[in-house]
Amino acid sequence: MTSAKVIFACYACFIVLVLAAAFVIGVAAR
Amino acid sequence: MKALKDNSLSLVFGLLLLVTLIAQALVGLADYNEQALIAGLAQIDLGRYVTSSSFMVDVAENWQSEYLQFTLYILLTVWLVQRGSSESKPPEDAGLGDDEQERYGEFAQPNSPAPARAGGWWGGMYSFSLTLVMALIFLLSWAAQAITGRVAFNEERFRDLLDPFTLGEYLQHPDFWNRTLQNWQSELLAVGSMVIFAVFLRQRGSPESKEVGAPDDETPR
Repeated sequence: MTSAKVIFACYACFIVLVLAAAFVIGVAAR
Repeated sequence: MKALKDNSLSLVFGLLLLVTLIAQALVGLADYNEQALIAGLAQIDLGRYVTSSSFMVDVAENWQSEYLQFTLYILLTVWLVQRGSSESKPPEDAGLGDDEQERYGEFAQPNSPAPARAGGWWGGMYSFSLTLVMALIFLLSWAAQAITGRVAFNEERFRDLLDPFTLGEYLQHPDFWNRTLQNWQSELLAVGSMVIFAVFLRQRGSPESKEVGAPDDETPR
């Protein structure tokens, strides 16, 4: 299950990073 | 090699996601620059485009609808059923189920996840964690769509020398709701048709389908 945990973490990080970027970009009115 | 095979579904979807997101960025940039050219405005490069609200609103509006779809589907299939559909529980199983069925608390196995063995508030939260996380991503994506959508919409208003909208004004504007509802309707159609198509149609070998020879009125467990 170790490889599945790595993929789980990759998906979760990707979603968090893109959403965080969207908020930063939107709030900065870029 | 075993790890690749064991995880091929999530890996292939992840790769397809990256390929299509990059393609979306490239064609979105071309579209943006074409509109800018027509309006007599400066061209932008890829780095500027992928960090723009114009790109982010297109990403976020599709994300929110997908996560809404899955949140609704995970939650509604607890109580609602479609007799004969591989996407549904049998009608007699509707509801949250008991602890024995769910292998929860005193019925947990030694290798069950720790919260399922522990029970209490931790186990209670864990029992709804899939819905909670999907719903959270939906709400954050929808909020991101609103915030970036306002900026992208105001950019169009600046081109027409109009005053910008506040977030509150944008949330009441048809542009926000048009972006939202056009995605919701397509997701709801896809899910609803999948539920009912799965009663009468088959895909041999897919866990999303009944067995080819399963009777139409048989609802798999």
